[in-house]
Amino acid sequence: MQRKQLLILCCLAHFCLISVVCWRDTLSVIGRGYTFLPAFLTAYSRGAESALSVLLGERLPSSNPLRQLVSVYTYASGIDAGYGFFAPNVPENYKLVFEIHYPDGRVDYELPRVSSTAAGLRLSTLIDNIGGTPYDELREVMVKMMAYSVWQEHPEATLIRAVLGLVLLPTPNEFQHGKNESYQFTYAYDFRFPGASAGAKQP
Amino acid sequence: MLRQRLEQFLFPVRSDAWITILRFGLGLQVILYAFSLRRDWSYLFAADTEGVISRELTEAILSVKSAFIPRLGWLVVVGGKLGLGEDATLALAWAALLCSGLFLLAGFLCRPSAVAAWLLHLAARGSGGFITYGVDSFMTIGLFYLALAPLPDRYSLDAFLFKWPLKAAYRIGFHQRVLQLHLCFIYFFGGLAKLLGAGWWDGTSMWRALTRPPFNVIPPHALLSVKYLFPFLGIFICLLEFGYPIFIWLRTTRLIWLLLVLLMHLGIAVAMRLQLFALIMIVLNLAAFGSIFSRYSLERQRA
Repeated sequence: MQRKQLLILCCLAHFCLISVVCWRDTLSVIGRGYTFLPAFLTAYSRGAESALSVLLGERLPSSNPLRQLVSVYTYASGIDAGYGFFAPNVPENYKLVFEIHYPDGRVDYELPRVSSTAAGLRLSTLIDNIGGTPYDELREVMVKMMAYSVWQEHPEATLIRAVLGLVLLPTPNEFQHGKNESYQFTYAYDFRFPGASAGAKQP
Repeated sequence: MLRQRLEQFLFPVRSDAWITILRFGLGLQVILYAFSLRRDWSYLFAADTEGVISRELTEAILSVKSAFIPRLGWLVVVGGKLGLGEDATLALAWAALLCSGLFLLAGFLCRPSAVAAWLLHLAARGSGGFITYGVDSFMTIGLFYLALAPLPDRYSLDAFLFKWPLKAAYRIGFHQRVLQLHLCFIYFFGGLAKLLGAGWWDGTSMWRALTRPPFNVIPPHALLSVKYLFPFLGIFICLLEFGYPIFIWLRTTRLIWLLLVLLMHLGIAVAMRLQLFALIMIVLNLAAFGSIFSRYSLERQRA
């Protein structure tokens, strides 16, 4: 009997955490104004999201044992994020193109590549994450790492320019009238290896 | 009274058929996951500058979350102390993951294999960081439940070789109930979030999901011929997911709802090239609700 009670308690704690994480992520989507809900709800959603973050210990210092325990448990059990894939709408995706400049003035273009379709899917996720990160320094570091792996295959190149753009998909009607996908420039970075980067150009 | 009902609900008497499905399905999933990344494993997880994104960067970001989350860097440190280079350690980690998948498939050393697969995949997920997507979360969920499940099941090699006794039926039922409830949360919140987006009501999200690289398997010209179906399909998927926690429990709708969900995941596998994602969802659904249709389960319940 005691064993059953212990299992029930563990089960309740587990599903409380799942509920909190799922509601927090749902409210986060509403709070950022990505849904068709009225605008006045976004402020309430942000407030509720903050309250739920408190329940997950996210306002505690990062070294706090309770916060550490919740972080490790939710991560290890796969319940650290909600399940709103492709929601509330299918997001835009990013494209990264490398311009490889040679000493003779020639310019080649290259896309990041991997050996398999499965790894390609992960690469695409990586590029979307790079494009979506709000931290400029982190974005530049990640693009530089990818540019470096391209430079290793073209060590004679004098400059690698990485251009990150948003892929704009046509609607069915636009496609029917001949419009194809287009790109919206978002960031460009120039890198010289083994020297330091020449900084970023932004829109 | 309430406590009794809660106990009855949480501890139903069940056969271990669902554990067989979960073990076998996750074994297959782990094997396919390992093979799908075989050629790019070092490239994706290397710490030095030869990798796509340095593992050290993703592990440093992971440490902000918690320093106790498993990562491949720990194995590389241990390998280094044993005189192994990073490449060799990563290759060994890959081989160990593959072996754990094979052992799960066969049901050999079920518990250690499940724990090893869970930890190794968790380490890869932690070190992968920016390259992980939905399939990794669901693999973690599945492997976590499998590692805690009352193993071994009657169809495992362990049961055949070592004649280990089966666990109490109420424990088998409890663990299945937890998985069932978790799937209800997954679909409910997935459906709810979709319902809040205008794109799922007017069909735009369906079109975008199918034409967005790298999921653009079907030529857009072919999709145009069925564009009038997109609003219906979008709403149908939202309602299928949102209604899952209700209709999967009702005796009269359970089979049709399960079949529709499986069909949706098969569609995702074919039309969006997300085979691994589809497989893990199918495995979790079959383990949670598929086994209740098996003849053995029904006989056992009647008994």
